[in-house]
Amino acid sequence: MKFDILIAGVGGQGVVLASRLLATAAMDAGFHVATAETIGMAQREGSVTSHVRIGDDVYGSLIPQGTADLIIGLEPAEAARNLRYLRKGGSVVVNGHAILPSTQGRGSEEYNPDRLIGFLNDNCPNIISADFTRLAKDAGTYKAANVAMIAAAAGAGLLPFSQEYLWDVLEKMIPEKYRDVNRSVFDMAIESISYTKGMGMESAASNETR
Amino acid sequence: MSSKRILMGNEAIAFGAMKAGVQIASGYPGTPSNEVMETIASHAKEYGIYAEWATNEKVALETAVGAAYSGANAIVTMKQVGLNVASDPLMSLSYIGVKGSLVILVSDDPGPHSSQTEQDTRVFGHFANIPVLDPSTPQEAYDMTLLAFELSHEMETPVILRTTTRVSHGCADVVIGDIFPVPRDIEGFVKDTRWAIFPKLTAQRHPLLEDLQLRLSDRFSEYFGDNSFNSVSKGSSRIGIAASGVSYLYAMEAIRALSGVFPVFKTATVYPFPEKAALEFLKGITDLIVVEELDPYMEEQFLQLAGKHHLNVNIYGKKNGCFPVSGEYDVDVVIDGINSSLEKGNTDIPGLSHSLPAINLKEVPSLPIRAPTLCAGCMHRTVFYAFKKAAGKLRSQKDIGSVFSGDIGCYTLGNARPLNMVDTCLCMGAGISIAAGLSHTQEYSSNGKAKQVAFIGDSTFFHSGIAAVVSAVYNNADITIAVLDNRTTAMTGHQPHPGIGITAVGSPAKIIDIAEVLKSCGVGLVRTIGADSLEGCIDAATEAMQFEGPSAVVFREKCIAISKGAGQYIVDEDKCTGCKLCISQLGCPAIFSITSGLPVIQDTCSGCGLCAQTCPSAAIILKEVLQ
Repeated sequence: MKFDILIAGVGGQGVVLASRLLATAAMDAGFHVATAETIGMAQREGSVTSHVRIGDDVYGSLIPQGTADLIIGLEPAEAARNLRYLRKGGSVVVNGHAILPSTQGRGSEEYNPDRLIGFLNDNCPNIISADFTRLAKDAGTYKAANVAMIAAAAGAGLLPFSQEYLWDVLEKMIPEKYRDVNRSVFDMAIESISYTKGMGMESAASNETR
Repeated sequence: MSSKRILMGNEAIAFGAMKAGVQIASGYPGTPSNEVMETIASHAKEYGIYAEWATNEKVALETAVGAAYSGANAIVTMKQVGLNVASDPLMSLSYIGVKGSLVILVSDDPGPHSSQTEQDTRVFGHFANIPVLDPSTPQEAYDMTLLAFELSHEMETPVILRTTTRVSHGCADVVIGDIFPVPRDIEGFVKDTRWAIFPKLTAQRHPLLEDLQLRLSDRFSEYFGDNSFNSVSKGSSRIGIAASGVSYLYAMEAIRALSGVFPVFKTATVYPFPEKAALEFLKGITDLIVVEELDPYMEEQFLQLAGKHHLNVNIYGKKNGCFPVSGEYDVDVVIDGINSSLEKGNTDIPGLSHSLPAINLKEVPSLPIRAPTLCAGCMHRTVFYAFKKAAGKLRSQKDIGSVFSGDIGCYTLGNARPLNMVDTCLCMGAGISIAAGLSHTQEYSSNGKAKQVAFIGDSTFFHSGIAAVVSAVYNNADITIAVLDNRTTAMTGHQPHPGIGITAVGSPAKIIDIAEVLKSCGVGLVRTIGADSLEGCIDAATEAMQFEGPSAVVFREKCIAISKGAGQYIVDEDKCTGCKLCISQLGCPAIFSITSGLPVIQDTCSGCGLCAQTCPSAAIILKEVLQ
């Protein structure tokens, strides 16, 4: 068995914590895991990814292109930047909340998040797109969008282990003073997914993206 | 007893060192090596370990050497470029050897992700005659750390444990043994002529050192068959694959569809190269594909071996263009390399295929370029902008240009647009010396006068800035030194340093004041100011730049990544004229605008107020004020 998850985002969004959370929960659920994380210069607002590989058929920690079972994109452009990893039939969970670079690259077209989200929704058959930053903010802190997205993936049944493993790890990982707010983010995300699941994979919240 | 935990490779190494009974640990921060020392330091009090951050890698190695001379188990940690700094003691140490044990953890950075170079420490070990172990997973990193301490003690030689980013910064489930407080049973330093290097001693030791290389090579060959670090697996073809480190895993995944076809030679004891085992392997094959990141180190070893024994084996790797000579490998890179080798070898083995992405990548809309940048609220942005303004004044008032030499740290990111404030950057501590060198060329220049400014961070100042200051003062270089003192070693993850009064294990320490150091070195003008007032920073920069001879300003403000912000700013849309100076001048990641709209300040604003001080219309105000 092998299950590959690629988490993509912008430095500072909590991509490393997200991958630790998934890896530890996977180990607790009895799987072998290997991760590759971006630590260092790119963490300063650059593009970052974590590769999380779960199962006995895992070799190195980097996912080859076209084999990821799940892409979790904390930011729409970063999800799109890593689409080469997505396997046929794989799923995408994407945060509609865009982070616009302060300086647009010279000669590069202006970043149009709506167009990107539209592209992702049109081209990825198994996609959940919602403004997880807003969901997290409504539940207490915008910084917990990473937790919201992983909870949503679990709630949608996209992970090879149940959501209880995730919460058990989160509870140990997160300092006590942030536990309650993370619990409400976690619960709200799962709730929002069970609501949208009835409507198919595409989230009702997708029109909220900016 | 043992337990299974999710550990980063670096943490696994730290646990390995603690399991091996490390007593003394020293190092200097450098990505991707940091978490080894951080993990040891966080357990130091529990297990009775002495752990420290030294001022630089040379000092760290020498400290660990002293400990190992006394019979202690010691580890020293650094990144690959740190080994360059430590190379002076390292090259001599191989002759002298150690009594206790000494493991040198060096992390290489193929890519590179966070480094100035793509150097290969396997080759450094070869150059220095020091054995190099090259684990491929966090579990192997743990196990090989234990081996490294054993080998070092038994052979009385320092041992390099070399990792790459994917081993250091990858997590896995790792089985580790129980750790106990370290024994307090070392013999202590015993006086002996063997500890004082001298030409005669070097001459005596050199043949023994060369003999040790042969013995280690034989030992490493013996590992094939009786330990899992080195292995040979059989294949149905006569086309072999040789790999080490993470490349081994990429190779195994790449050939999964043809499992059992290729004989595979895997070694984690890369230097001294296990020649006997390698020769045995070569004799059974006609073609060899070498899969390794960075330098063609193993490829050269095999080529040499084939030449020495007149073997008719074709060897494919970097030297005949089958594999890339630079950059990081992954499974797809290795598939291409193996296919290219198979094609060149004219074999009948079918090529390996890539998995196809689900989405036609050509259809993906264009994506924004997202380069790393200084954090929102970072003090460095204010200082860079102030120097830019001061340089503008110098140019317009006195027709004097400015050159800005940068250094290694977060503030290297001052090179990005729109700041563009790093004209040179070479290595740790080089900014001051390069500025001095540039200043001495002034009288040979036909292009007008230029003031030389060097930016240096607080930790880098202690690392290798001080000697450069002394030299600049001694030789009266006309330079301005801007110390960006954010009270931490920020880029590598906020390690303490001698300027902030706390040690690696959290104990209080004497504070070494950078301004006082500069004054005692004889710098003519030394100012210390905060970085919250842009105008104050511009004035200080202007004064220092107009000073003849060495001058310095210490800008002191807490790193925003580990301190609480001062609130949040917002754009008053009634006042904003849409000039977008806040965006075009500062490049703060908290501010953006779409072409048609006014600037928007995002939640990540930490309230430094630089944009508010820059706005000509006073349209950027604290959120609380507007509400």
